[in-house]
Amino acid sequence: MKKSTNAAYYIPYGFWLIFFVIAPVVLIIYQSFFDINGHFTLSNYQTYFSSGTYILMTVNSVWYAFVITFFTLLVSYPTAYFLHYTKHKQLWLLLIILPTWINLLLKAYAFIGIFSQDGGINSFLGLFGIPAQQILFTDFSFIFVAAYIEIPFMILPIFNSVEELNEGLVNASRDLGASSWQTFRQVIVPMTMSGVKAGVQAVFIPSLSLFMITRLIGGNRVITLGTAIEEHFLTTMNWGMGSTIGVVLIVAMFIIMFLTGERNHHRKEARHEN
Amino acid sequence: MSEVIVELKHVNKMYGQTVVLKDINIEIEQGKFYTLLGPSGSGKTTILRAIAGFLDVTEGDVLFEGKRINDVPANERKVNTVFQDYALFPHMNVFDNVAYGLRIRKVKKDDIKNRVEAALKMVRLTGYDSREISELSGGQQQRVAIARAIVLEPQVLLLDEPLSALDAKLRKDMQYELRELQQRLGITFLFVTHDQEEALALSDEIFVMNDGKVQQSGTPVDIYDEPINHFVADFIGESNIIAGHMIGDYRVEFNGKEFDSVDAGMKPNEPVEVVLRPEDLDITPVGEGKVTVEVDTQLFRGDYYEIVAYDRLGNEWLVHSTNPAKDGETVDLTFDAEDIHVMRLNESEEDFDARLESYEGDE
Amino acid sequence: MKTKFKWSHLYLVIVFILLYLPIMYLITYSFSDGSRMTNFTGFTFKHYAALFADTRMIQIVIDTLLVALLSSLVATIIGTLGAMAINTTSRSVVRNSVLSLNNILMVSPDVIIGASFLIFYTALKIPLGFGSVLMSHIAFSIPIVVLMVLPKLQEMSQSMLDAARDLGSTNGQIISRVIFPFITPGIFSGFFMAFTYSLDDFAVTFFVTGNGFQTLSVEIYARARQGIDLEINALSGVMFIFALLLVVGYYFIQTNNQSRKAKHQALEESEALAHETTH
Repeated sequence: MKKSTNAAYYIPYGFWLIFFVIAPVVLIIYQSFFDINGHFTLSNYQTYFSSGTYILMTVNSVWYAFVITFFTLLVSYPTAYFLHYTKHKQLWLLLIILPTWINLLLKAYAFIGIFSQDGGINSFLGLFGIPAQQILFTDFSFIFVAAYIEIPFMILPIFNSVEELNEGLVNASRDLGASSWQTFRQVIVPMTMSGVKAGVQAVFIPSLSLFMITRLIGGNRVITLGTAIEEHFLTTMNWGMGSTIGVVLIVAMFIIMFLTGERNHHRKEARHEN
Repeated sequence: MSEVIVELKHVNKMYGQTVVLKDINIEIEQGKFYTLLGPSGSGKTTILRAIAGFLDVTEGDVLFEGKRINDVPANERKVNTVFQDYALFPHMNVFDNVAYGLRIRKVKKDDIKNRVEAALKMVRLTGYDSREISELSGGQQQRVAIARAIVLEPQVLLLDEPLSALDAKLRKDMQYELRELQQRLGITFLFVTHDQEEALALSDEIFVMNDGKVQQSGTPVDIYDEPINHFVADFIGESNIIAGHMIGDYRVEFNGKEFDSVDAGMKPNEPVEVVLRPEDLDITPVGEGKVTVEVDTQLFRGDYYEIVAYDRLGNEWLVHSTNPAKDGETVDLTFDAEDIHVMRLNESEEDFDARLESYEGDE
Repeated sequence: MKTKFKWSHLYLVIVFILLYLPIMYLITYSFSDGSRMTNFTGFTFKHYAALFADTRMIQIVIDTLLVALLSSLVATIIGTLGAMAINTTSRSVVRNSVLSLNNILMVSPDVIIGASFLIFYTALKIPLGFGSVLMSHIAFSIPIVVLMVLPKLQEMSQSMLDAARDLGSTNGQIISRVIFPFITPGIFSGFFMAFTYSLDDFAVTFFVTGNGFQTLSVEIYARARQGIDLEINALSGVMFIFALLLVVGYYFIQTNNQSRKAKHQALEESEALAHETTH
């Protein structure tokens, strides 16, 4: 029985694997070897590596992603840690997750209002006599909004790893004479590293490619790999170059996954688990 | 008088190069409580699964009421199993679990209700029909598993270490209940366990398994009193096993001395092993007993003291005594001729039975 | 100890304020009588009225829900079959490769998925629109269904399947009466996740939708690029309530399951206690 039914299960799923997983990846690599006129060429890669602008854009994008990830982690780790010790932690956790169910674009849109010339922040500053600042369309606004959107996806895996931590180990460390700071440094941090890695993975990769935020909040000042791909595919229609940048993004993705280890907590799956 | 229901003939089972069953020959009769007893990996569960139909034997025949059932799928065999982890369906409540097999057999609704009620009553779970499985304790889940199997009125019920997940007290209670249930239902139980006390307490007949072979089969008393070999003697109960040799019929030598015995039918001077059960040894003052030993340590076991002592040759002696001994004290141990059980090396079960019959008939 | 505890609470409160402030800001201005997200000028429902009168917007909401419903339904069927296929695959090399392939779409950035699907549809000359969006949503929802169903399948013990067979079930009966009911919670979670995936998606849809077909995310993006429109605020108010209901409903089911487990545990403990007292 096993063999034949197994094959039957595989028919629709295998169809999907071939046509929607393997084929698109192969196609994007294939496309990267064609120029705008449809001729086979290596010029896309040549352009990418020789013209300073693409390299600079990539470095910039990685740098922005790094900064976003850094600030997200900075806010999220203590949150996840403190959350573990609250009384109604399931309820608190629910409140952390709830914003992730709000459409991403609505959240970005909210900041257009908050950061605008006469928006929330500037009115607030106005109370102290500080003149209105240009906040929207700056690096700061881009990083702030991106971090805002990513924070829950960083908190969840870290929270899970804190939850998994055996309380006995913390007690053992205290029993062996470690202060609470020493216990935190030597026991808690190393043992929650897997959660941090999962969180970094869940934040860094999307941060490289969030093009709608660069458009809505960053103006056109900030260009990430994602923005460049969107630009090439949908505006200049240079799919070859867009695919080349896509390949670069895929390579970056694998590097990050390699650095942050096997254990991948997928961002949206994470919110289900709690 | 009793008819054979299940029979295994020359059954072998191999996984690749690994042999898990070696030439198993077993007869299971109607209405008795059988136990397959052995350490883990001895092949006892494999036998059960071969009878239930969850695995194919490599060679040999599995017979049910005289018919070969090797190729009959598990769902068409007239035996049912109580699984070690109960294997209850967590998405169904108690009633639906017990009714499962009846519904598969398209039994009428009213009949299902009556039979499920009866089965639940049998395992003392009346009124638990609508409970969810997750709301039951381990002991209650165990009963549901039994009810689910017996409701189908199988001629043989296979029980795969069903009590191993229960705590000691509950386990004892369930042993009584199982024995009672088997007698009330009058069907055959084939019970798998690694717990020798459980096997001795419950069974009409025990198959002692080791290394994929049946080492010895018989009533609990036979197996306890007359173990066939070192493994059985060691595995069932506590024992002192000492190397020695036969002088002649009813005369055995061990520990440098000759003793009277009740065993015969062996070659003169044949090397043998002698079994002395710790509860058969009595402590006497020096000079009044048969072996002189020095007490090393003792543990209080509640109803007796377990004493470990060493003789001059360095052999360890385990003694169960109602009175305490003093550590370091030198004492004598005494025993009767009937307490000595002599085992030949590598004797087959048939030879063993034949030899016993040859001289026990004389008496 | 006492003071440290309070500091941590203060920190949490600040984080929560930060998380919710933008959403509340958005919703507050949906009731503002002005036309911009500044200077609250008096309470009104007029943006909600405008929203419900906006037939184009309502059409888009219906389209979005339709895509979400259809795609999650199809993805659930294919994903469940896929999980069963993976579960019955015994060779670990095959199994792990299939799982890795399965996860590619989970970790890939949306832009890559969108761009590669766009190339794919163009290569096959599939017109962009409802069909291409639906197919894309099905495609990126399948792996999450697999990941939701597979653990349930693996949780199922071999002895439970043996028991079903022992009690007389045929292969078909085992699937319909034991396996399927057992993995139903996983299938529901998978469907639910696929549904929210589809509702949430912007980037993939943005790439593969043509001019004729819009989903809510794409529409919001288009309007937001043109500036503030308080009708969007009203929309976010409605969507917030919707999300709230979904989350509360979902967690109610989850905690209900958990309380059962807790009940079982309490029972075990009380039984152990009863044993101690009888002795």
